[in-house]
Amino acid sequence: MRRYGPAVLLALTGAAVLRISLFGDLYLRYVQPGLRPYLIVSGAVLVLLAAATALAGREHGEADEEADAHGHSHGPAGPRVAWLLTLPALALLLFPPPALGSYSAGREAAQRAAQGVGTFPALPSGDPVELTLAEFGSRALYDSERSLTGRTVRLTGFVTHGEDGTWYVTRLLVSCCAADATTGKAEIRRAGAPPVDTWVTVTGGWHPEGGPGSDAAWPPVLDATDVRRVEQPANPYEKR
Amino acid sequence: MDDRRTVADGVRLAVRALVYAVLGGVALLTVATVVSVLGPVLALDLYTPPVAAWWTVFTAVVVQGVPFLLLGTVVSAAIGAFVPERAFSRLLPRNQALAVPVAGAAGVVLPGCECASVPVAGSLMRRGVAPAAALAFLLSAPAINPVVLVATSIAFPGQPAMVAARLLASLTAAVVMGWLWVRFGKDEWLRLPKSRTAPGASSYGWTGFVSGLRHDFLHAGGFLVVGAGAAAAFNVAVPRSVLEIFTDSAWLSVLLLAVLAVVLCVCSEADAFVAASLSGFSPTARLAFMVVGPMVDLKLIALQTGTFGRAFAVRFASVTWVVAVTSSVLVGWWLL
Repeated sequence: MRRYGPAVLLALTGAAVLRISLFGDLYLRYVQPGLRPYLIVSGAVLVLLAAATALAGREHGEADEEADAHGHSHGPAGPRVAWLLTLPALALLLFPPPALGSYSAGREAAQRAAQGVGTFPALPSGDPVELTLAEFGSRALYDSERSLTGRTVRLTGFVTHGEDGTWYVTRLLVSCCAADATTGKAEIRRAGAPPVDTWVTVTGGWHPEGGPGSDAAWPPVLDATDVRRVEQPANPYEKR
Repeated sequence: MDDRRTVADGVRLAVRALVYAVLGGVALLTVATVVSVLGPVLALDLYTPPVAAWWTVFTAVVVQGVPFLLLGTVVSAAIGAFVPERAFSRLLPRNQALAVPVAGAAGVVLPGCECASVPVAGSLMRRGVAPAAALAFLLSAPAINPVVLVATSIAFPGQPAMVAARLLASLTAAVVMGWLWVRFGKDEWLRLPKSRTAPGASSYGWTGFVSGLRHDFLHAGGFLVVGAGAAAAFNVAVPRSVLEIFTDSAWLSVLLLAVLAVVLCVCSEADAFVAASLSGFSPTARLAFMVVGPMVDLKLIALQTGTFGRAFAVRFASVTWVVAVTSSVLVGWWLL
């Protein structure tokens, strides 16, 4: 085990990275789609490195072990700290942690995008129009031409509950990895609240509150005509 | 006679093997039964929403860090294995005070976040680059490379002053830290492995590259896990919204965001978006968040402890924090 320890560690880490990126899209629970090619390359490199290490270990095991002992003598933490890599690796291989949900959304006050009142490019034609919660929020808040008026909008997210019976369709916004998640949400009216953390697609019309850019306009409100339960999408987050 | 002894030996061996197999099997079965019965009960009790969120954020920070850490260790192993001993000392000015700004500006060429820069700085020192210059590179590379600057300009649309301020404040802090090391730094604080391989074994060429890569990645990877665990704990324990209470005081808000940058460990390619979302805070406070983050955070302190030793990491991180905050306050006051 001593001789093959490094090879086992590298193989585990590589396999974990490949499992979430190459064999499925679990990586979307943790990072953004753009990172996928880099994850696949890293996983492959780690597996190759593990193979090279194992082969080298078999050919001249004794000399190699000595080299390792020498190389690691510089730190009291030594190579033992590397075994911590098994923690995330085994977690990813055996029990991939779930995507962040209502708990994290409730911890953060929903952020209104920082921007000024202005005009927006025209919405795509045809009803209903699919919008991200970020897009819906900024148009509801900052569009001086009120392009949402009279349109039927469709939003997808998970359910969170507010005080005195209000409920929201919520989505976490991630720009790099789940550690930087912020919350986007829209209040849903004229429909009963589904249980917390249910994924739903809500269709309805924008309900204006307050003037553009005012505090009363946040969070944006949607009068629902249809609430449908859906599966959690492959990418549970929105790109900020 | 001989035959009988071999037969007896064989029987004894078989019995011993049987006993071991039965004992081992029973033990294994017991463990498996206990775990499969108690495991789910225990796991459900412990797997509360905050714990689940901790696991997700922890895994996310590690997954995000692995490609960049690997890039950094590939570059550092390549420097160790293929670059001749004196190449860098010929490229850099002999005078350390001059070498520092050159090395700081050279940080532009490493397109990655902070995980990549620590192993590279370590291998630069092993290749004879003055520690002061290598440290300036270590601090500036994650903050001023093109990827990060473009991300900043996207996060702050229509505010080119913010990008310029970030570039200027980060570079200033990196160069000042380099000069401080020239003046006050002591080499005994740094604990660098002189060579990764046994005397006599080749540290050059492909063999050296592979063994260097393996060692650097495993070592730094372990410390990345430590940092990710700490970052996830703070991320789950301290909601960002709590801080909005303190947005009124200009001074307090700068210090708060500078502390937040240390504990949140947001990768330098993403921190501009987080800074942009902290809309209650002054531009200078948000600048401090972006300048401190790539230079000092829990993940980096863990990585530096692993590469350079604890004595170094503690001193270096605390002084860097002060210098980075000062530099962003001055630049923010001038530009923003």
